[in-house]
Amino acid sequence: MRLEPLPNPSPLRSVGVTLLALGLAFALVGGVFWAYGLSPLEAYRTMLEGTLLDPRGWQEVLRRTIPLLLIGAGLSLAFRTQFYNIGAEGQLLLGAVLAAGVALFLPLPPALSLPAMALAAALGGALWCGLAAWLKNRFYVNEILTTLMLNYVAQSLVIYLINGPWRGKDVRGYIYSDRFAEYQQLPVLLGSNVHWPTLALGIALALLLQLLLFRSTLGFRLRVVGENPGAARYLGISQSRAFLVVALITGGAAGLAGFGEIAGIHHRLIEPTQLSSGYGFTAIIVAWLARGNPALVLLTAPLMGLILAGGDVLKVSFNLPFRIVDVFSGVMLFALIGSELFLRYRLRHR
Amino acid sequence: MEEVLNALARALSFGTPLLIACLGALLNERAGVVNLGVEGMMALGALASFAVAYGEAGDGNLWLAVLAAILAGGLSALLHGFVTITLQANQFVSGLALSMVGLGIAGLLGKRYEGLPLFDHPSEEPFILGAMGLALLLAFLFGATRLGLSLRSVGENPAAADLLGINVLALRYGAVVAGGALAGLAGAYLSLVYRPSWTDGMTAGLGWIAVALVIFVGWNPLRAIFGAVFFGLLYYLQFRLQGQSGIPSEVFASLPYLLVILVLALSGLRGQQGNAPEALGKPYRRGER
Amino acid sequence: MKIRLLALLVALGLGLGLAQQSNLKACFIYVGPIGDVGWTYAHDEGRRAAEKAIPGLTTQYVESVKPADTLATVDRLVAGGCNVIFTTSFDFMDQTLEAAKKYPNVIFAHASGFKRAPNMLTYMADFYQIYYLNGLMAGALTKSGKVGYVAAFPIPELKRHISAFALGVRAVNPRATVNVKWINAWYSPVKAREATEALIAEGNDIVAFTEDTATVIQTAARRRVPSFSHYNSMYKYAPDYVVSGQLVDWSVIYIDILKKVQNGTYTPKNLENVDYWWLARERAVMLGAQVGMPINPKFEPALKQATMVVNGKRMSVYDRVMELYRDIQSPNPKWDPFTGPIRDRNGVLRVPAGRRMTVKELNEMQWVAPGVVGPVPDEPK
Repeated sequence: MRLEPLPNPSPLRSVGVTLLALGLAFALVGGVFWAYGLSPLEAYRTMLEGTLLDPRGWQEVLRRTIPLLLIGAGLSLAFRTQFYNIGAEGQLLLGAVLAAGVALFLPLPPALSLPAMALAAALGGALWCGLAAWLKNRFYVNEILTTLMLNYVAQSLVIYLINGPWRGKDVRGYIYSDRFAEYQQLPVLLGSNVHWPTLALGIALALLLQLLLFRSTLGFRLRVVGENPGAARYLGISQSRAFLVVALITGGAAGLAGFGEIAGIHHRLIEPTQLSSGYGFTAIIVAWLARGNPALVLLTAPLMGLILAGGDVLKVSFNLPFRIVDVFSGVMLFALIGSELFLRYRLRHR
Repeated sequence: MEEVLNALARALSFGTPLLIACLGALLNERAGVVNLGVEGMMALGALASFAVAYGEAGDGNLWLAVLAAILAGGLSALLHGFVTITLQANQFVSGLALSMVGLGIAGLLGKRYEGLPLFDHPSEEPFILGAMGLALLLAFLFGATRLGLSLRSVGENPAAADLLGINVLALRYGAVVAGGALAGLAGAYLSLVYRPSWTDGMTAGLGWIAVALVIFVGWNPLRAIFGAVFFGLLYYLQFRLQGQSGIPSEVFASLPYLLVILVLALSGLRGQQGNAPEALGKPYRRGER
Repeated sequence: MKIRLLALLVALGLGLGLAQQSNLKACFIYVGPIGDVGWTYAHDEGRRAAEKAIPGLTTQYVESVKPADTLATVDRLVAGGCNVIFTTSFDFMDQTLEAAKKYPNVIFAHASGFKRAPNMLTYMADFYQIYYLNGLMAGALTKSGKVGYVAAFPIPELKRHISAFALGVRAVNPRATVNVKWINAWYSPVKAREATEALIAEGNDIVAFTEDTATVIQTAARRRVPSFSHYNSMYKYAPDYVVSGQLVDWSVIYIDILKKVQNGTYTPKNLENVDYWWLARERAVMLGAQVGMPINPKFEPALKQATMVVNGKRMSVYDRVMELYRDIQSPNPKWDPFTGPIRDRNGVLRVPAGRRMTVKELNEMQWVAPGVVGPVPDEPK
């Protein structure tokens, strides 16, 4: 057997291969269910009923989608430019910190409060990621290392604030900040935790970044830097500037996600591991699956949201351990990326 | 003096799993394959070794336990190898998937071992010395052997290596599996020696630190010793220094991470940046460019 | 004929009774995994014991739930027929209140919080008295006069426990100190080990802790340092080194609440003022290296030899511990560790002479007792 390149794979083939890959993933995870003494069909039926066939399930998928959408759109741009930001989790926290700072300490007219919080959050995330870009440009420090390390620093910063200077007066000494005022909380879809303004922001951002990437000079420059650094140098495009721009955008987007989590759900600054649910890492997958197209994140973010929400259903319905979610998303991911080869090649018997 | 020795002992004890895992990641990155799944492979290794060592009632064989960890790590890395080398998928995503699957499977299978004590456990010294020896061995491998040269060429320029008759795919497979085996071994150290117990999530992000350390030490096995001990020392000192002054504990808690960045920035300033292998992260396809 | 009728009536009655009972479904939302050997494990033990003790009760649990997912989890549990929902972490407080408003006919019970509603009660099993007893033993056993404490987060619960512990230590050894290292995590074996190593390097020869694994005990045993079990029976990890400890039994609270729901005492309308603050008297907490072993026999001789002065009389530390333990288990305890006069470590009088701290004061405690060494965030000056 050998591989034969396909110059122009048909869309039908793409859909077919992807569906086959998903089928394989479902079969493998089904095996895990079976090993746990659970009928795979029963498990999948429950997951489906608890998510897509249930209005409350939809709300959950959407709530999980919001931060993934924001961070994922930003990251897809960053990966396109070969800027490997894996510190979105820390940037999300910085966004939450600055948004909380504005909410708690900046006396603003109520109408301006939420926009100012959003702005501050974007700024916080952008600066945290911008720091990594600056270190890369000025001192040649690899951004994978910096962004990863800065995650831990961001966690310590949040803990310091809620342990000490920002500890709330209404929490009886617990490690929370005070609760935000009503007008500092994002509106939600009735009876749910879906903070829709942030959802709208995420959709707009994904489309905007798509336009920026493919319809603007800046986008062209970013793509050249990512695809062919040599050509970028030849054309006089500054790699450093591209990295900085991308870092500010992707960090800002992650910061906005942090704003959504605390202004939409928690309504205070809380302990970092309880604040985010690891969205910064999950969004890396979202971005990679979108293959460098911010707009495609509109599909991949809800897909991951669906897996996360579906995992919750399994946890509640069958007392399954929470790790089932990790296995599920991991296997799904393996199947999807493993199948990509068969989009571009086909197997031939020699 | 006693104080210094004690701190050094802590640095070695905590730095050893980092060093072993870092050397593993370094080995496969030198051959051109990134594996971000260290955390997951470590968890699998930790569970496999604990399960074998515990046996039915804490009476299992410790050597077999260590072997089980190496196998668990190596086999899980084989999956990464298949997906990234044979199927030529993106190495970063595959590694992420591996870290999820590894943590997930370890968590699911480990339920019955949660929180059991292990009285008969190996001492730290053989592992510490073994890890150092391993670093020397890798330095020798890369610096003075044909195999090492071939491995490096596979990571730097696989097409040229291929032309010279080097089996790129086989070497990459070998490096990935060996790297995974070392990640598994690091996990065994955690659950057999450092704790010794198994609980879900006990790898505590050390796998990620190991991945970052590879960059920190510039893909150099000898510098990996200093990198791991340096980080281990800072990690211990965050608690040792806590309460000795008015400085909040959170400042000390972030010091290990900040100082790693600072040291790297300073060495960058002096132009001593280690260089990533040229073909790192790129799948090799014969006949393309 | 009569007998048959009677039997029928009895059967009917039983059937009805069972039917009524089988309506009771209690659901538990946990913050961590049930295998953590700490907080969540203890709650799950309580759940299982309650299920055995109450006929007709069914239970369900969901582990590792984040605060952000609480409301959605409640939605699903209510849809699945739960009529009593326990949320077992302070972190769930705001969300539980929100859920209580959304489902006025479901009974909610929130552990360790302070917000209530007509259909939401609060409950807590607290260790502070037990900590004092452990402190007495630590004070008697330390040779260096330095006792170490690995602490999770600087919240009132820990400040209360560490302070009670320090008061006990100083009652035996007035110059001894309790040295605290914060790890800012509920679960982190790695941090727990390194913090313990640091404490021992600094000369602490006894350690106690708050963290969800047995790491501190295992580490201390390596260095031949005695330690105190936390939350669950940890004697088995180091039989030669675990002196005693504080143990919890949530099942007494769960059984009491669920029985009162079953017999109609608790309804979704009358819980506004129901707050369980259960101690040794109610058997919600115990002293022990493991259940049934208040003091490890290995340490009995040393504790019987060590003496302290109580109200002008000299007595052995062992006898004092046992005397106080009997007292706090009695229906009307006469003694409480936080009886005035008590000054904080900065010399400010916090509890005037002759007064005891109220439950509210204990729950909001921000100061720490004399003898506690180490930074304490947000400490009142």
